[in-house]
Amino acid sequence: MEYALLQAVFLPLLLSPVAYIIGRKVGPTPAMWFTFAILLYTTILVINAALSGTVEEHYPWTEQFGEFGFLLDGLASPFAIMIYVLSTILAIYSKPYMVHKFHEQFEEEHKINTSASGQTSIVESSSLANYVNAKSGLYFALYLVFAMGMLGTVLSTNLIEFYVFFEVMLIPGFFLVALWGDGPRRKIGLMFLFWTHAGAVVLLLGFLMIGLTIGSFDFADINESEIPSDIVMLSAVAISIGLGVKLAVFMFHIWLPYVHGSAPTPISALLSPAMIGIGAYGIFRLIVEFLPAAYADLAIWFHIWGLVTMIYGGAMALMQDDLKRMLAYSSISQMGYILFGIGSISVLGLAGAEMMYVTHAIGKGILFMMAGIIIVKVGTRSISKLGGLAGKMPITAVCAVIGALTIMGVPPTSGFMGEWILFFGALETAIEEGSTLRAVTFGLGLIATALTMSYMLWMLKRVFFGKTPEHLEHVKEGSWHMTVPMMVLAGFSIVVGIYPDIFLKTIIPYMNGVLGV
Amino acid sequence: MATEAFGLPFEIGAASAWLVWILPFVAALIIPGVGKLSKHATGYVAVAFALMSALSAASLLPMALEAHEIHDQIMWIDALGLKAGVLADPLSIIMANVVGWISFLIMIYSTGYMKGDKDITRFWFWMLFFIGSMQLIVLSDNLLQVFFGWEGVGLASYALISFWYRDKKKDHVGVEGRTVLGMLDYYSPTHAGMKAFIMTKVGDVMMIAGMLLIFLFAGTFGFKELMHDTDWATSMAAQGLLVPAFVLLFGGAMGKSAQFPLNEWLLEAMTGPTAVSALIHAATMVKAGVFLVARIGPLVFALGAAGIMADQFFEIIAWTGAITALLLATQGMVNNEIKKVLAYSTGSQIGYMMMALGVAGLSHQYVDGYTAGFYHLISHAMFKASLFMAAGSLLHIVGSRFMSDMGGLRKQMKKTYVFMWAAGLGLMGAPFITTGFWSKDAIFAAVYTSGNEWAMPLYLIAVLTAVITAFYTTRMIGLVFFGKKSKHIEKMEEEGHHIHEAPMSMWIPYGILAVLTIGIGLIGLSAEEGLHHLFVDYLEESFGIHTAHVTNEASILPEFLQGLNPVALGSSLVAFATGIGLGYIFYIGRWVDPVKFVNSNIVFYAIHKFFLNRWYLNAMVYWCFVVAPLWLARGVFRYFEKTAIDYGMNAGVQKAVGWSAKVIQGTQTGVSQSYLFVFGAGLLFVVLILLI
Repeated sequence: MEYALLQAVFLPLLLSPVAYIIGRKVGPTPAMWFTFAILLYTTILVINAALSGTVEEHYPWTEQFGEFGFLLDGLASPFAIMIYVLSTILAIYSKPYMVHKFHEQFEEEHKINTSASGQTSIVESSSLANYVNAKSGLYFALYLVFAMGMLGTVLSTNLIEFYVFFEVMLIPGFFLVALWGDGPRRKIGLMFLFWTHAGAVVLLLGFLMIGLTIGSFDFADINESEIPSDIVMLSAVAISIGLGVKLAVFMFHIWLPYVHGSAPTPISALLSPAMIGIGAYGIFRLIVEFLPAAYADLAIWFHIWGLVTMIYGGAMALMQDDLKRMLAYSSISQMGYILFGIGSISVLGLAGAEMMYVTHAIGKGILFMMAGIIIVKVGTRSISKLGGLAGKMPITAVCAVIGALTIMGVPPTSGFMGEWILFFGALETAIEEGSTLRAVTFGLGLIATALTMSYMLWMLKRVFFGKTPEHLEHVKEGSWHMTVPMMVLAGFSIVVGIYPDIFLKTIIPYMNGVLGV
Repeated sequence: MATEAFGLPFEIGAASAWLVWILPFVAALIIPGVGKLSKHATGYVAVAFALMSALSAASLLPMALEAHEIHDQIMWIDALGLKAGVLADPLSIIMANVVGWISFLIMIYSTGYMKGDKDITRFWFWMLFFIGSMQLIVLSDNLLQVFFGWEGVGLASYALISFWYRDKKKDHVGVEGRTVLGMLDYYSPTHAGMKAFIMTKVGDVMMIAGMLLIFLFAGTFGFKELMHDTDWATSMAAQGLLVPAFVLLFGGAMGKSAQFPLNEWLLEAMTGPTAVSALIHAATMVKAGVFLVARIGPLVFALGAAGIMADQFFEIIAWTGAITALLLATQGMVNNEIKKVLAYSTGSQIGYMMMALGVAGLSHQYVDGYTAGFYHLISHAMFKASLFMAAGSLLHIVGSRFMSDMGGLRKQMKKTYVFMWAAGLGLMGAPFITTGFWSKDAIFAAVYTSGNEWAMPLYLIAVLTAVITAFYTTRMIGLVFFGKKSKHIEKMEEEGHHIHEAPMSMWIPYGILAVLTIGIGLIGLSAEEGLHHLFVDYLEESFGIHTAHVTNEASILPEFLQGLNPVALGSSLVAFATGIGLGYIFYIGRWVDPVKFVNSNIVFYAIHKFFLNRWYLNAMVYWCFVVAPLWLARGVFRYFEKTAIDYGMNAGVQKAVGWSAKVIQGTQTGVSQSYLFVFGAGLLFVVLILLI
């Protein structure tokens, strides 16, 4: 289909004002369906394109920057598919959660009004509905732009284009957090903007170094031209740091627990599984593929950095009482797995790292949705105040267990298919190079999976099992808007776990090509 | 389905080999739907599917007896060139039948035991999921697929140990408030499930490392392919990685079969419903480790025959088994909870099996130890499942897990009493009439005649463990059925509860297994010889392990015992007599009060306490692997994440920006003179630079 990728990226952007108007004039439910329909259509476009193999589209752009293009190849398609699949099903999930949030904020603002003026202001019965409509219009409009920014990043074929999309997803992200986050949301939104933007600027420095040296920003040109080795190293380090902030690897993870913890839960469920992993996509594309010389030198550092992140994130996740913060640290740890795989310099290690993105997207998506249901239905997110919910919300519990198993890498969930390939890659290089350091990191990495298992099982135990506290006696299961998306992902996890070829078929040939095997 | 060129009957055979493990999964998938329609119907559906799976396994038996094998593969992960398949050879077919039929009996038992539980659908789901995963382990033709089943049974075990997830007091194990080295020795079901899952995961981590190492060199996970071309082993041995890889693989078996040092989870696993303990933690899942060793052991031995020695592998197995056998048996002597006694006993008996499979590889007659270990697996599966189910009946009727709350039950629960004796005699190894005797005797003989440097110490441990086994079994039966009624029972009877026999759906399954223990025991020697014969052919055909034919010299033994080793037989008889005699003195005849005896001097008291506190191993595991890491993580969180990272970077950057803003602000004085001064100084500076 012609213009498929162009449509997939720009349709949500162009139609976002329509979503805003629908929300404002009609209400949240039609806005949700409208958003869902656009995303469903574009998701089908992306999947369809991915099924037909590598797809490339090029459009003229400015002379300075080069071409504006989209490329859906073996590397990009798993990322693109997961981003849009998640965005699509989370659109449905968003509605009840956000309506709940709008109600809360309305009450909050209303209370502030009354106390400020010192007298009871008359609230018309329609004002709540209007409030919700206006807010949901804005929400879905921002949501569409956010989704489109993520997709654009993984499809771009030009450094500047990449950078533009990279920043485009940041802006709606900032507003979504700053407007409807929990806690000191404006401060946290700014923190998000500040850190990821700081990362992006470093990234841009790296891009400029490359682009100005070879005189083109197009991926195709970069791939073909010889870049002086000092520039390669310098720009590779800049790019790694820039993307490292997005990946939230150890030392650059400061923003993530705040943002994931505070963001409205459907957005956390997009930020964590889909967005931060784009950092990994960047490393694959820009460093592994385009700067192989730098990659060969940096790989061992990625490996170690990944290992540290894995263990550190896991250990910190053990200490959290806030459900969403705990999941946030878990995401950091999972990003460590991906970086660990990238550092393995082997086809299967890299393929495993990309599979980890897919499985993390599935697993963490489920778990954040679980957290959202608990926030809406129970009203608390403190793990110590929860307990015994399995009997009250069985569907959520079952899905959460599947999500947790996916993160733990237990077959038959997709997590296992990512993990064993990843670790095999790490082992392969360790043995081939005869490197003790790599053998040790391999062993520690495997042990870290036990840590992952510990914090996940402990969370499940404290949230879903044990005695039900009295204040939770009347908790009900979430509405279908919330449970069905979760079930879809849970089913998907098992399908991919049993039949990983869905993704591996495209990933492996690409990785073979990149490493020249 | 790409079937290899078999004749028609084998096509059917291949189909039933697939069905053995697929049917339970299918049932697990439909069970939630059935449960929505009628909770009552779930039991029938579950039992029916378990029966069909067992029948599929039985249909393979003729093939096993003719030493045929089925190997059927389909494409699985195309991108990596990996295939999925079933491998039904005599080993796996016999194992599949043991698993299938015992599962079926336990499923029937469960219909009585779990009657009226409101979460019954979930119970059936996990039981069926378990059976499917277990049969997957048994019938898979490659390690990766085995690992799927391996984790599947682990998951089912986790879910079923924590089945009563509401953590009511009656579902705990241990004595409330009791601590060992400051660690609470009292576990809730959800805690126990988590402990089991994480501890076995440690084994699984080792296993997957071993698997990946082998895959790296061999490029395949398939058992057949690994045997077909052994170049990979040569190159692994050259790098010194062969033994480590197999030992790592054995690590998985250690975790799953609760072998030292990964043994501590099995005791807490007793929080699950007793049907679960019988099926998963006695008869089948914990045998998965033994089965894995039986699967790969011949391969390693065959490599040894081809000049690639891996003796350390077998030494480690034998010693792990021996240590576990003794370690857990000693603890079984002193515990007051009936299910825990049986759990200790299970771990200990599995230690025997490991010991046999280990010494097999160290001797010249691989098949002797191999048969002994596997025969013990079968006989143990029968009598231990029976004992567990009987114990479940006791729990069900008496409503307490402590043996001190039972006592004098032999009149009210006659059937359970008789069956428990029968199965208990099997566990003790009562001479000539029980399967346990023959299999244990075979192990003794295999260890004794293995002719390696460790034979003697291993043999002594085996005999000592046998004495202890006979003792604690007698103790258990004595405490439960003999003596006076406990206060608990008297109170129950006062309150109008009538202590009676368990319902038929419960006693029939354990009755059958108890009768089989004696029944097969009566023809035990010929059964063993049959198995021996079968394995001689199997090892010859599949692995090229040749067994030298030994002509039995006429020994001092009578006609019907020809072929047995007299030393092994003698020590087996002595061990049995000693153990049961001591047990009788203390617990049946009650001539000596055990409590007074233990308290009579400090040495006995110390030993008793040492055993009761589980050799302090459990507490140490908690200190080293739970308390210490949590303490460390808390420290890092407080003093690094919260301060250096969070405060240092977030607030630090914020402050730095604010501070620099103030500095810059400070320069904006608004006084023209100072501006002019700075401007002049700057101009001078530039001019100076230009001049230089």
